[in-house]
Amino acid sequence: MAIIGLSGAGAAARAVLPDESDAYTNFCGHTYTTGNCPHPTGLPRVDRNDYPLRASDGHPVDDLGRPINAHGYPVNARGEILREPDGEPVPPAPRSKVCPAAGRDYGLKLETDGSWYRCCGGRVRRLMDCCGYTSVRINGDAALVGYCYAGRHVFCVQYYETMMPC
Amino acid sequence: MLSGLAVCAVITALIAGVTGAWSPCGFSMVETIGTALGDSRRTTTLAASTTFAIGALIGGAVTFGALALVGHMIEARTSGLRDGLGAVLALAAAIADWRGVKIAPQIRRQVPERWRWTTPLPIACGLYGVLLGLAFTTFVLSFAVWALAGISFASGDPAIGLLVGVAFGAGRAVPILWMAPSLRRGAGARRLDALASEPRLWLGLRRLDAIGLSLCALFLSGASATAAALPAATDPSAAGGELAWQGVSGPGMLLAQPGQATILPGNHPALGGSLIAWVGASQITVADASSLATVTTFGVPGANALAISAGWLVYRAVGAGGEENLVGMSLLGSAPPREIASSKFAAEIGRPTLDGSDVVFTVDSQHRNEIDMVDLETGARRLLRSANSGFTLTNPSVLEGRLLYERVDRCSQKLLIGPLARSRYERTLLNLPSTVKRDPGFESGYEHAYNRASLCSNRRTGRGSAIRLGPTTLSASTAFVTEISSSPEAARVIGIARY
Repeated sequence: MAIIGLSGAGAAARAVLPDESDAYTNFCGHTYTTGNCPHPTGLPRVDRNDYPLRASDGHPVDDLGRPINAHGYPVNARGEILREPDGEPVPPAPRSKVCPAAGRDYGLKLETDGSWYRCCGGRVRRLMDCCGYTSVRINGDAALVGYCYAGRHVFCVQYYETMMPC
Repeated sequence: MLSGLAVCAVITALIAGVTGAWSPCGFSMVETIGTALGDSRRTTTLAASTTFAIGALIGGAVTFGALALVGHMIEARTSGLRDGLGAVLALAAAIADWRGVKIAPQIRRQVPERWRWTTPLPIACGLYGVLLGLAFTTFVLSFAVWALAGISFASGDPAIGLLVGVAFGAGRAVPILWMAPSLRRGAGARRLDALASEPRLWLGLRRLDAIGLSLCALFLSGASATAAALPAATDPSAAGGELAWQGVSGPGMLLAQPGQATILPGNHPALGGSLIAWVGASQITVADASSLATVTTFGVPGANALAISAGWLVYRAVGAGGEENLVGMSLLGSAPPREIASSKFAAEIGRPTLDGSDVVFTVDSQHRNEIDMVDLETGARRLLRSANSGFTLTNPSVLEGRLLYERVDRCSQKLLIGPLARSRYERTLLNLPSTVKRDPGFESGYEHAYNRASLCSNRRTGRGSAIRLGPTTLSASTAFVTEISSSPEAARVIGIARY
């Protein structure tokens, strides 16, 4: 009876929960097909405040996709400030929150609303919906409610990698 | 100030318009307007002449202005190809017109004759003028018309297109205005007969078209070609045909004549008017650019960027606490130094550039990036361009009301030139992929779809361009830009002909 119960629960779980390898779109944890938010380096990885990070290593990047230090100056792979040929540091560039910046690109007022957490690659990942009063999502299809608050819909998606193992 | 391409295209358009007087429509217009279809009142002829001229100007402006606007809209990705095609078309037309080759394709359309009878003559002539000004709605009597269409498109500058169109329309109107009003008195009739019986004059005008087109082809081919590069060079500065730059890991250099570079006794050289300035040990030296004889010196420790004009010197200097200040000094009077801008950290104020008493520079931070202009005479500050998000604006240079600068975003680096006041009519002189490494927008092993916003249409994922654009300068004919590879020692300055 217990075996039947367990196998039934397993089947139910498989029916409800998506499988990592084939139910996520673009990146682990993202169900459904809403497109990524525009991001300086591609995959829409952000920090807890919605500023862009390089997906491969979590390094902060500016709006041009250049890795930067804490003061916003572009740095090389060793973390040293990049310099012009005359020795002057390469100047900083704007660094914008990914979700509102997507709104500016598309003429919408967007904010990060609700989130959901999933286990991805041994870490807890926070899936963040970029929401606004829009009926369409970034890829042109009808927008879904997702984790957005009242009356708002998902325009594009992004994620934040927590430090929590899972 | 009109560029070389604009001047030669406008003159060629004027001549090409005059060449059209030999067309059936051209002769018909003289006859129609000059005789006023039997109306004996001279005012009718004058009114018809006026409306015809206005119509011709409008028609020309519409055709060539629209072609330039189309070129402007698509210029970002294809400017080099577009310039090349325009140059080839201009050269081919020049050869054909010089040799007097039979016009092809033969457009045998004429203006609708019935308008003469169905509408008042001034209105009909106004409409005729529009059709003749449009250029391709009636007989085309020289290859120059086709070439001018290509040049307008290739220029990608609506202002040039409008000027070419107005010149072409004026060219079409001038022979008619020269002959029609005096047709009934006999003088106009004699001129008309002379024109109709003298094809050599027509061929002569086509040869003038050919000369003009050849010059246009030169300007166009120069626009997409780059001059020889200066190796190990950065921070260029140009004035009066001379070019100075900072050697990478070396002194400042001056190129007064091709092939004759002079080593300067200092760094960060800047040219302006007949002067040159450089930074020595805790002082800035201002000298005559041709003799290098010292004019004056200023004790300024920590200067790391200069700009100079006939009346002003602007320097950027690092303070004791690492802050940077941008300061202007009059070279003509004893006015105290004027503080233009300051920043707490290095590199937040860009390298200055001077045009007369106007200094232009960038202010960069993580929150905002802008190009500002300050009039050193009055202290008035003006915002020229700004960015809060998504891109940055760097390395400006100004000359005679034109602004050269770089716009860099996550996908591309563009070298742009345009009017100081508006970004609407900017041209892209150079367009490179961005330097950053980009991922494909999806994680390996997962379904991927709907991630177009993560991609760049102008480049692939992975490593970007190995070249980063750096400091610029403008001369009357050339835009200079520093190309910086992954190794700063390999920086070089290249010249791109502007027009």
